[in-house]
Amino acid sequence: MKATRRDLFKFAAGGATGLLLTPAPWRLVTDAALWSENWPGIPKPVRGELRTRFTHCALCPAGCAVKARCVGDQPISLIGLPGKPLCAFGLMGHQLPYHAGRVRQADADAVRAVIAKRAANETVAVLDLRPGRTASWTYRRAMAALPRGVYLAARSSVPAVNLDAVKIILSLGVPVLDGWGTPSNVQQARSHFRLIQAEPAESRTALLADQWLKIRPGTELELVEALATGRGGAGTGLNEKVIASVANELVQAGALFLAAEESPSVLELNRKLGAVGKTIVAQREAPVPRSWKPAPVTPINSVPERSIGVLLIDESAADSYVPWSKLEGKLAPDALVVTFASSQAGYGRQAKHLLPTAVYPESTGDIPPAIDSPLATFRLTTPLVAPPRGVVNPAQFIGGLAAIDAADALRERAGAIHAAGRGSVCTYADGRSIPVEDIQPDQFWKALNDGACWIDEPGGKLLPPVLRASTPAVVALNWEKRAARGPMPPLVSKLYQESNLRVRI
Amino acid sequence: MSHRGTLFFLAGALIALGAGWAGFPRVIYRSRPQPVEFSHKVHAEKAGMKCEDCHEIRADGSFAGIPRREKCAGCHEAAMGTTLAEKQFIDGYVTPQREVQWSVYARQPENVYFSHASHVKLAHLECATCHGDHGTSDSLRPYQEDRISGYSRDIWRAMKMNDCVACHRSHGFEKSCLDCHK
Repeated sequence: MKATRRDLFKFAAGGATGLLLTPAPWRLVTDAALWSENWPGIPKPVRGELRTRFTHCALCPAGCAVKARCVGDQPISLIGLPGKPLCAFGLMGHQLPYHAGRVRQADADAVRAVIAKRAANETVAVLDLRPGRTASWTYRRAMAALPRGVYLAARSSVPAVNLDAVKIILSLGVPVLDGWGTPSNVQQARSHFRLIQAEPAESRTALLADQWLKIRPGTELELVEALATGRGGAGTGLNEKVIASVANELVQAGALFLAAEESPSVLELNRKLGAVGKTIVAQREAPVPRSWKPAPVTPINSVPERSIGVLLIDESAADSYVPWSKLEGKLAPDALVVTFASSQAGYGRQAKHLLPTAVYPESTGDIPPAIDSPLATFRLTTPLVAPPRGVVNPAQFIGGLAAIDAADALRERAGAIHAAGRGSVCTYADGRSIPVEDIQPDQFWKALNDGACWIDEPGGKLLPPVLRASTPAVVALNWEKRAARGPMPPLVSKLYQESNLRVRI
Repeated sequence: MSHRGTLFFLAGALIALGAGWAGFPRVIYRSRPQPVEFSHKVHAEKAGMKCEDCHEIRADGSFAGIPRREKCAGCHEAAMGTTLAEKQFIDGYVTPQREVQWSVYARQPENVYFSHASHVKLAHLECATCHGDHGTSDSLRPYQEDRISGYSRDIWRAMKMNDCVACHRSHGFEKSCLDCHK
């Protein structure tokens, strides 16, 4: 029998059909996918004995406690404590050191020499984008020591919100349930406050709120006026009865008004509702050594136009930003702008020099109390992985300009806290809380480095915050907005969108 | 002659089926024997040992995995029986203090984290749920390594991600990717 061309085609078709009924093609597809996971350049978690370490997440001011699974010196996964989950950003934090957009090298010595030369005759200003840290105190000390030093903070006064005393929250677009405060604190407090969310979009917080006021975009302040005066509000798109009903609810004790944008009328309404001093209180700071002489916090608006010769911006742990347009006018014509950051995403585009910094979880530092913490706290973010060579520590760099050795600043502050003898240390490894007066200074320092948190004692009256008309009642940033200002692990967006990693409240 | 085309089609299909089912596994998997002959059955039945006697979960919750030489030497410092396998093990590893280079059938990819303590102590899972009858086997089968992916063939039997997900779902423990993934 002679095979024809048609027979050969039929034979091939039969072969192809038969092959599909075997594991071969499917195995090859899977293997090809697995093989592509192991291409060169893809960071691989190391193998070895697992160890558990505790630290605090430095990605936002919430400073959540982190339980890190490590193999050797390599963190392989970050999780929160039981009942205190991390947000999607925090869960992926250990991938940040490998971000492709990271800046790693710069000539710090040359920049230091240029700044030192100009500091003698010109105004040197430090813009701190996360005030309240020990590094912030170093900046203030350094600026006090320089002949014309100015310390600028993105936020001159941020009050704390005492969630325990809140009964009703009216939020104007603040993502209260989606990364605004410490997730676990908000989660715990949620059962005893009623949440009214006024927002044009059906955000996650709006969905989970007890009442969603679907206002028209841009009518937030009109709603505030209507609630305060009992008149108007038609432009918001809300029924008059609804506004009147909400206004009646708000006069109940403990009502709190949160707004995304700073506004005198928001502040006034909070005063009228009795929230100031009760639910909005002054944020307390952990003690500092008495020998530290800080420069005052200068509001950016009060800095004379075209007066700053050298502007140093600490972007390494930024949680709030000042629009460049507000800063630009304060700079002298030939001003030198230096930013400390890990990527070009922020002020790096405007700065003449970008000095690379360590990123979480490489960095060492402390985290100021979260917005929902009326008590002073002191917690360290201890490095889980060593930073690469060439990165600059902003506090040591700026302290060095004024001959201040900031290398031991954290330990000095821990010593001051211990000397004050107040509060207790919470260790996450064993869940214990030990009064500070019961432990030695070295034990206290070691506990902090092992991931413990110092919490001030709750005694004393909660003082009303010093609020100015220009002070926002809250800083309405959640992790998404923060992440938009800097590099974020690539997996975050995928996991955030496609999984149930968001904190359930 | 009308079936001529069908015959060619079937011939092609049969050859492909044979190649795919019988030939392909021989090509795709690299097979190697374990360095030591070992019988779980003998240890379980004659010595009355349980899985956790050798594959222990330490006090801190970490899993010891395959026992190291010192653990085996605790019983086999000198021969306990008359088998050639035991003699070879003692002569080749215990006496010269060499570590056995076992090939781990259940070794998971680098991006997977698996806690034996959670599954055995908290969820009370039997070892056989994932490892099948490995604990009663009389010999160690050759280790088969996928030439392309580098993974063990045994993973594809009962330790695929789908198996984990299915079990977690059935017990209502479907939480997040990062419970298992690094």
